Amino acid sequence: MLAAIAFYAMAATAIVSAFAVISARNPVHSVLFLILTFFSAAGLFVLMGAEFLAMLLVVVYVGAVAVLFLFVVMMLDVDFVELRQGFLNYLPVGALVALALFAELGLVASAAGQAGAGRAALSLGGPGEVTNAEAIGRVLYTDYLLVFQLAGLILFVAMLGAIVLTLRHRPGVKRQDIAKQVGRRRSEGVELKDVRPGQGIV
Amino acid sequence: MSDLIYSLSWAQPELWLAGFALAGALVGAWVKDRGAGLLSGAGCLVLIVAGVLAFQFQPRTAQTLFGGALVIDAYAGVAKALIALSAAATLWLGADHFRRTNEQRFELPVLTVLAVLGMFIMASANDLITLYVGVELQSLAAYVLAAWRRDDAKSSEAGLKYFVLGAISSGLLLFGASYIYGFTGSLRFADIAAAAPAGGVGVTFGLVLLLCGLAFKVSAAPFHMWTPDVYEGAPTPITAFFAAAPKLAALVLIGRVLYGPFAELTPQWGQVIAALAALSMAVGAVAALLQTNLKRLMAYSSIANMGFALMPLASGDPAGLTAALLYMAIYLPTTIGVFALIVALRRDGRAAEEIDDLAGLAARRPFMAALFTILMFSLAGIPPLAGFWGKWVVFMAAVRGELVWLAIVGGIAAVIAAAYYLRVLAAIWFKPGGAALQAPSATAMTVAFIGAALSFPILVLALGWLERVANTAVGASF
Amino acid sequence: MIETFIVLAPLIAAAIAGLGQRFLGDKLAMALTTGVLGLCCALSLYTFAAFTWGDAPERVTELFRFIDVAGFTSTWSVRIDSLSVVMLVVVTVVSFLVHVYSIGYMADDPHRARFFSYLSFFTFAMLALVTANDFLQMFFGWEGVGVASYLLIGFWYQNKAPNDAAIKAFVVNRVGDFGFALGIMACFFAYGSIRFDEVFAQAAAHPQLMIGVGDISFRAVEVVSGLLFIGAMGKSAQFFLHTWLPDAMEGPTPVSALIHAATMVTAGVFMVCRCASLYELAPYAAGFVTIIGATTAIFAATVGLAQNDIKRVVAYSTCSQLGYMFFAAGVGAYNVAMFHLFTHAFFKALLFLGAGSVIHGLHHEQDMRRMGGVRGPMTITWAMMLIGTLALIGFGVPGFFGLAGFYSKDAAIEAAFAGIEAGRIGAQWAFWAGVGAALLTSFYSWRLLFMTFEGTYRGAAHGHGEHHGHGETHSAHHQQSGAAPAHESPMVMLAPLFVLAFGAVFAGWFFAPYFVGEHAGAFWRETLHVSHGHHEFPDWVIWAPLAVTGAGFVFAVFFYLLNQGLGARIAAAGGPVHAFLYNKWFFDEIYDFIFVKGGRALGNFLWRWGDQRTIDGLGPDGVSASTRFASRQMRRAQTGFVYHYSFIMLIAAVAFGAFAIWAGAQPANGAAP
Repeated sequence: MLAAIAFYAMAATAIVSAFAVISARNPVHSVLFLILTFFSAAGLFVLMGAEFLAMLLVVVYVGAVAVLFLFVVMMLDVDFVELRQGFLNYLPVGALVALALFAELGLVASAAGQAGAGRAALSLGGPGEVTNAEAIGRVLYTDYLLVFQLAGLILFVAMLGAIVLTLRHRPGVKRQDIAKQVGRRRSEGVELKDVRPGQGIV
Repeated sequence: MSDLIYSLSWAQPELWLAGFALAGALVGAWVKDRGAGLLSGAGCLVLIVAGVLAFQFQPRTAQTLFGGALVIDAYAGVAKALIALSAAATLWLGADHFRRTNEQRFELPVLTVLAVLGMFIMASANDLITLYVGVELQSLAAYVLAAWRRDDAKSSEAGLKYFVLGAISSGLLLFGASYIYGFTGSLRFADIAAAAPAGGVGVTFGLVLLLCGLAFKVSAAPFHMWTPDVYEGAPTPITAFFAAAPKLAALVLIGRVLYGPFAELTPQWGQVIAALAALSMAVGAVAALLQTNLKRLMAYSSIANMGFALMPLASGDPAGLTAALLYMAIYLPTTIGVFALIVALRRDGRAAEEIDDLAGLAARRPFMAALFTILMFSLAGIPPLAGFWGKWVVFMAAVRGELVWLAIVGGIAAVIAAAYYLRVLAAIWFKPGGAALQAPSATAMTVAFIGAALSFPILVLALGWLERVANTAVGASF
Repeated sequence: MIETFIVLAPLIAAAIAGLGQRFLGDKLAMALTTGVLGLCCALSLYTFAAFTWGDAPERVTELFRFIDVAGFTSTWSVRIDSLSVVMLVVVTVVSFLVHVYSIGYMADDPHRARFFSYLSFFTFAMLALVTANDFLQMFFGWEGVGVASYLLIGFWYQNKAPNDAAIKAFVVNRVGDFGFALGIMACFFAYGSIRFDEVFAQAAAHPQLMIGVGDISFRAVEVVSGLLFIGAMGKSAQFFLHTWLPDAMEGPTPVSALIHAATMVTAGVFMVCRCASLYELAPYAAGFVTIIGATTAIFAATVGLAQNDIKRVVAYSTCSQLGYMFFAAGVGAYNVAMFHLFTHAFFKALLFLGAGSVIHGLHHEQDMRRMGGVRGPMTITWAMMLIGTLALIGFGVPGFFGLAGFYSKDAAIEAAFAGIEAGRIGAQWAFWAGVGAALLTSFYSWRLLFMTFEGTYRGAAHGHGEHHGHGETHSAHHQQSGAAPAHESPMVMLAPLFVLAFGAVFAGWFFAPYFVGEHAGAFWRETLHVSHGHHEFPDWVIWAPLAVTGAGFVFAVFFYLLNQGLGARIAAAGGPVHAFLYNKWFFDEIYDFIFVKGGRALGNFLWRWGDQRTIDGLGPDGVSASTRFASRQMRRAQTGFVYHYSFIMLIAAVAFGAFAIWAGAQPANGAAP
């Protein structure tokens, strides 16, 4: 009963705040609504017994990604109002497509009720036996080793990409080079000039 | 533990690629961009080695590795060889091109090899997560490559567009995969195959969304919209790369998904594939007519050609998969050859990419004009060039699969498409004037020559062998 | 061996003369072709003699297999029997004489080598036709002579009239050829073969075989014979398909003599005689032949009355005489038809070459109204023409002696009379038409002779300066009134006339016993079936032709000798009858209106509405326009905005998803096997 109330409350919050993300006028508000959506989703995970995922969501998405978004939005100073000017023009068609999509999802969901296929396989093991973290830990490095490594490579690509697309070696920027500084000799640093009176060094 | 060692021993090509990527990044960070040329050469070599390994060392029967995440079979072997060889050709092309334009960076071979690793995973994927990870690895590297010329507005735009739209397609793919998992209760293809027939509408819906995501990767209409913009914006050797290896990888993946776990659902997905194929052929043929930019034209050409390759798949008959594989094997060298020629076309240090730039080419550079002619004729499907036999094979497969209407659509599209290929040739042979072009790069010309020689006569002569290989590959795996 | 040489040598000569004229030069080309033809002529006469008086057998030399596909076989062969030896003699003799004659007639032409090459090629095609052993080779020859005829009529292609005439001849012949081809197909369809022997045997074995479409069916032998005769109508210029022959006179006169009098136009008669076994089984087809032949005989003779062009008169005369041959064949007297063909070749070639001599002498003047008084300067030609005319009108005394036409034409008329008694269809009409045409023939022949040679010269005193290139000295004495400013032709042209005149005088008398008389059975052997029941004709039938011929002579004398200019006055007065005859029964006008104008109107309609609007409009033009339109729309859809692209992707995904759900809901598709 309590779980049901919590589920509907958090589900409703998630949907409303998700809608607010795209409708808010202020982009900072949009990001804040996004954070609220993440929190609601995390709550739903907890209800399902996936507390590890819930924490991950909060830590990674709220703590890192959303905050990064906030910084970017504040720093870029993009005029979102101007970008969103044609927004309402697409609303009728968009609403129609959304309606069609919902109708399809509803049909599939009703089919799911009848079929009930694969229900049993969906649970992550009973809550009392092992913790979430342990369950994930057991399979992550064994059954899903390949995928885990490939995910690492994906991150590697992302890193490389970020570097390739943004890193610039500006010429003329002075940097410290300790070895060079230490290895300097007198002959390189000092030059003797014979200065004639009244003429200076040309 | 022994499973891991066994798996690693079969996954040697992938290990070579991953090893090169890691080592290459390390070495590159050390030697900086000075060593880019050398590293590219090494990358080509590794790609060829990986391709040859994948092709030569195939298990007698399909082997599942890493607890069922990956499968090594003849089908994957053939696909990997084709992927690796075409990627090597485009990498060679790119290294040479960027050296000339002073844009060489050591990340090019690293990213290319990582993308190829993603494609290898796609070709061998045996569960939904592996599939997704492979697609993402390949795509992410491709997004970066598209924006390679980061100071060029068009190139950046291409990268961004590719990224955003690719993300949406990935979303569709994941959404579909989650449905399939939900209704079959498994990620493994073998389990899905067992559960799919009883899965009802949910599985079908998921499969269709999955196909939508993959259709984006092969740029099949109506998921093709990114193709012309990205092809035009990206540097030409990168475009050549996009046009060849990832297309084959995605097609092979589509084949594996449809003919593996969902073979029982042919009535459901057959019509979807047929629609994708018909739309692609129509859009690719019609929209290209008015294009003036060679790369955009080739983008539409690639859309149409992917339509032709998808056409035989719609029958649900393994012979259709053979035909598609054969078609791609003939299409890849041809399209790489054309892009190599576009790379070679330069004037005043800038790329000459408009059709009008080709005016007077026949008089100035007859050899180049001859190569263009062979490649364009092959693309248009004029006998006896290889392109004709490719089309012949897919049309025959479609007709045998009782998809006569699709074959008719394809025939009309081929006729319309021939018009714009011939328009290019008309500019080359009959349009007078045009400013002088720079001397073409020897590497680009070599690649173009290899492509043309493969189009005619090598692949025509090797057609029987090629068909046997494709037949065995498909027969052993499905 | 000999006959193979006879057939193929002209072809080789034609090829050498035609292709190598630049190296050979005109003289050598002429010498080669004429020499080869002379040799062929001699060999043909030898073959004929050996066959007629010796005991040379009927034989077929098979040269090579032409077509052998799925039961359809055609062999290239040379068939020697009584019919073909007669034709060999006719073709090679006339051809040789025409070759010789042409050396003089074409002396000034710059393209003589080409002309002789064509002539030899024609000879080859004609020989291939007459020596054929199956219908396909005959068709080959049939078309070959058509091509040669086209080339020779249009020999002076620089002028419009010859070109038009050549095209007309070809097109009209196509109509007939179509019937001929259909006939061959029907023959193969009905009898499973196109070899003459097999076809005739089959037709005789199954006389009641029916062919047809659906419920409508006819006796096969009638259909085959009828269709074949349509081909003959075209080639032999019979009623309805005759219009090309007078126009063909635009070609050089030797061509008219060879092709349009002696040989090619008689191919139809030859074909009917060759297929005599078929026509004997097909009374209706034979009746059709009789009626068309008789109608042509009288029709062409009436038209000949009012023509002024000397060659056209002779051409209509040819048409009329061909009519005689056909009705003779139609009533079953095939030997008579062949006999008339044989004699006609001599005297009609003589008339044509004589007319050519006149034309040559008068500097290519062909209009008889501008002739007259030519007898003085061209006495030899006049004599030859007189012999030709007498032979044509069939002058002779029954039971004593007559010229060539006397024996053959009277035989034809008598055969028609015999046909009446035998109950042949159309025989009654053929007899009376034959008698009537004999009257008209006599009249127009004498009219031609009188208008050309008698009286005073009516031509303009045209400047001769332009003709001095002829190198003749003829200007001075021509100026005196009465005599024409003409000159006698050279010996090379006159010599062939002598030979032909000899034939015109004696061929009938000499060969009548063999062709139609007591030796006929032995002469024709098995090839032609000769009606043995020798009729005793009433006297009036025997004397009627001679009587009407005499009447025609009297009329002609009255109109054109005693009252000179009366004919011209009648012509000037007009009158519907003269206009009707002068305009050749308005055939050209009617054909022009129905076929030429109608065809053009239909073509225009189909072109503008059918082709341009409908097929092009909906087809190539419409398709390309709509493709371009679609292309433009697609280019507009490619806006470059990411949200447009993503929106399209989403719509597509939703649409495909909806399709999947719909497909999943279909019970038939739901469960895959």
